Amino acid sequence: MKPMLSTDLNVSDTTVEKAKIEVKNLNFYYGQSKALKDINLSLPERSVTAFIGPSGCGKSTLLRVLNRIYELYPKQSAEGQVLLDGKNILDRSQDLNLLRTKIGMVFQKPTPFPMSIYENIAFGVRLYEKISKAEMDSRVESALKRAALWNEVKDKLNASGQSLSGGQQQRLCIARTVAVKPEVILLDEPASALDPLSTAKIEELIDELQADYTIVIVTHNMQQAARVSRQTAFMYLGELVEFDRTEKIFTSPREKRTQDYITGRFG
Amino acid sequence: MATAASLHQSRKRKNAVMMALCVIAAGIGLAWLALILGALLYKGLSGVSLAVFTQMTPPPGDAGGLLNAIYGSIVMTIIGIVVGTPIGVLAGTYMAEYGRFSKLTTVVRFINDILLSAPSIIVGLFVYELMVRPMGHFSAIAGAVALSILVIPVVVRTTEDMLNLVPNALREAGTAIGAPRWVVIRSVAYRAALSGIVTGILLAIARISGETAPLLFTALNNQFWSSNLNAPMASLPVTIFQFALSPYEEWQQLAWTGALIITLTVLGLSIIARSLTGRREDR
Repeated sequence: MKPMLSTDLNVSDTTVEKAKIEVKNLNFYYGQSKALKDINLSLPERSVTAFIGPSGCGKSTLLRVLNRIYELYPKQSAEGQVLLDGKNILDRSQDLNLLRTKIGMVFQKPTPFPMSIYENIAFGVRLYEKISKAEMDSRVESALKRAALWNEVKDKLNASGQSLSGGQQQRLCIARTVAVKPEVILLDEPASALDPLSTAKIEELIDELQADYTIVIVTHNMQQAARVSRQTAFMYLGELVEFDRTEKIFTSPREKRTQDYITGRFG
Repeated sequence: MATAASLHQSRKRKNAVMMALCVIAAGIGLAWLALILGALLYKGLSGVSLAVFTQMTPPPGDAGGLLNAIYGSIVMTIIGIVVGTPIGVLAGTYMAEYGRFSKLTTVVRFINDILLSAPSIIVGLFVYELMVRPMGHFSAIAGAVALSILVIPVVVRTTEDMLNLVPNALREAGTAIGAPRWVVIRSVAYRAALSGIVTGILLAIARISGETAPLLFTALNNQFWSSNLNAPMASLPVTIFQFALSPYEEWQQLAWTGALIITLTVLGLSIIARSLTGRREDR
């Protein structure tokens, strides 16, 4: 199988986009059971890609391969290649902690660390950089501004991160991820636990962030995928069924299964 | 309709009977507790004076205090906690973090549970064989070792349980930001579980501060002031044991007072432990 994307995508886009991440012949296993079957796709740089599909289709699994977070659990294994800027991150020699500073991740449920708002952001920065207090202050400020949270928390940076509302917590998590200056941001259903207003804020944020970052978002919400992404991958039963420009997927998909899913006939 | 009403009536009667039985059972349990506390307060409080905290245990027939016994209890408890807590916390950390999926964890947990419920006199005998016999004499350090062996299973258990309560999502989040495993444990998991782990340590202090059996075979007792860890040392529980069995009234009074001091200390620690856990649940 060869990547389905390349020719289709570049028809309408004037610039030829560089692939940030290329997934080649990827298989993934939970113990004996195969959760991803021969996935091939390439994610263009500085652009939002959405993974959609019914529960259990493997979209979150695919996302979790991209920063190898699955390695926390024994019995989960991946085979094939995932190239980040041409270098295979599934390689044994890949330093996992360094990989994760390049590929940040935001989870479905907000996960502020049990520390202050300031520390939530400084924590990740401090792991790999030694900077002065003043530099750290400005780093925290710019990350919070980036995540559109600064105005709400600037007077209580020492308050616990867990004291914020759900939507604020999620933006704090995005700020924390942005603060370590990653190249790719993975979002695993980042708005599914949030109210519509917070969701709108997160989506707005994603739209702004794509100027600087390659973003991959897993979502159950098809409208959300349509709103925020430039490319959409439809997955079903561990297979990548179709991957194309988002408008194409939602208006004239090639595959019948995609058509059935987006029109609500199953899933 | 008639049947439904009579069914309802009989259910109500059964409910009343069961309710009454439960209340009686709870009442009996609480009554004993109240009686013990009442007796301790009644008999012990009258003996509380400055002398108790400033004077040594007296010879028979003399007035005196419990200073050397209080000092010995505090010293041995502190050493027991200082030795036992790191081992317990690290073992619990291994079980909940590094070895979560390993067989060793299951084995260690099983053995730890046995240790947790083992009679403390066995621990006393074990340390007697291990330290007192080779050394040729009883010593405070042997007593502290025996206490630390009692601390370990309590702390292992609570540390593991509390770390297991930390949501995996938090570990994943720490990992996803590029933090190495030990940083995630130290800065995220420990922090999230801190109040629970501290509670476990407080409960361990409460447990060992009232232990008599392991000290009988190890630290023995000492009528006099001694801060030498290599010599027998007095402790409140053993002094209570000795004085309460004696025919001398002054000694018996001191035993009551000592019992009151221990009980209030344990009560205080339990209340602190409770309020710490309570605070965590509020969040």
